[in-house]
Amino acid sequence: MKDKEYGIITFKSTHFAIKAESVFGSQSINTRTIPVPREISRSCGLAIRFDLDDMEKVDQIISEFNLDIDGIYKVIKGDNLNKVEKLN
Amino acid sequence: MKKIEVDARGQACPKPVIMTKKELDNIEEGIIITIVDNEVAKNNVSKLANSLGFEYKVDEGENEYLITIIKGKGEVKEEEKAKGAVSGDKVVVFSSNTMGKGSEELGKVLIKSFIYTLTETSPYPATLIFYNGGVHLTCEGSPVLEDLKKLEDEGVEIISCGTCLDYFNIKDKLQVGQISNMYTIYDKMANAGNIINIG
Repeated sequence: MKDKEYGIITFKSTHFAIKAESVFGSQSINTRTIPVPREISRSCGLAIRFDLDDMEKVDQIISEFNLDIDGIYKVIKGDNLNKVEKLN
Repeated sequence: MKKIEVDARGQACPKPVIMTKKELDNIEEGIIITIVDNEVAKNNVSKLANSLGFEYKVDEGENEYLITIIKGKGEVKEEEKAKGAVSGDKVVVFSSNTMGKGSEELGKVLIKSFIYTLTETSPYPATLIFYNGGVHLTCEGSPVLEDLKKLEDEGVEIISCGTCLDYFNIKDKLQVGQISNMYTIYDKMANAGNIINIG
């Protein structure tokens, strides 16, 4: 997985995050569950991290499985703080 | 320079380390020569010197090892180390493959989240200890192997309880770190400045 830049999906509830984890786990793309970066204060605390190259597939999976998400962000790692851009 | 000899021959596992540490703490600078009669003790005393950032050398004699540690000269290294990737005396203990009680499903997610957080936060702990159900985390099929391997590459020591691996019959499934026994586990805990318990 790329370490410098990656995408994350946040959720309004931990249950939605856990459901999304199992859905993404059964797909062919590389994802993992991580704590929501400090720079994003909202949402439940768990996020799904993915490679930005897989953005299209991620969107497909979200709509196909009707996943209840809060937002999608691009994270650019900094030395102390990360830079975060909201994508969706 | 002051020279102190520590004769730790015939002493059981953590004792040579404790004796050496005590003498090192007592002096501002000087040379400590610890004599031990087995390889495990030699390794453990060497590791102690290394973790404190002191210069040391090992001489092998007949049925004995002499570890010469120089305190004072190596202290620059210690400062450097403090700024580096690994924090000298922080130990994290995992007694289960889940985090907290209440929901196993949630606990499994939380522990992944916790270990990921360890990789994102420096300085890293010096040692991670896994025992009882915690050993599942260092074995095949664990969802945190990638993170643990990353931590190991950064110099974090990873220890799994051998008794526990054996109990679960997964000794051959270990994927990261070393197998160790209760003496080492106690030794690491006893010498830790800061222990974080997760389970």
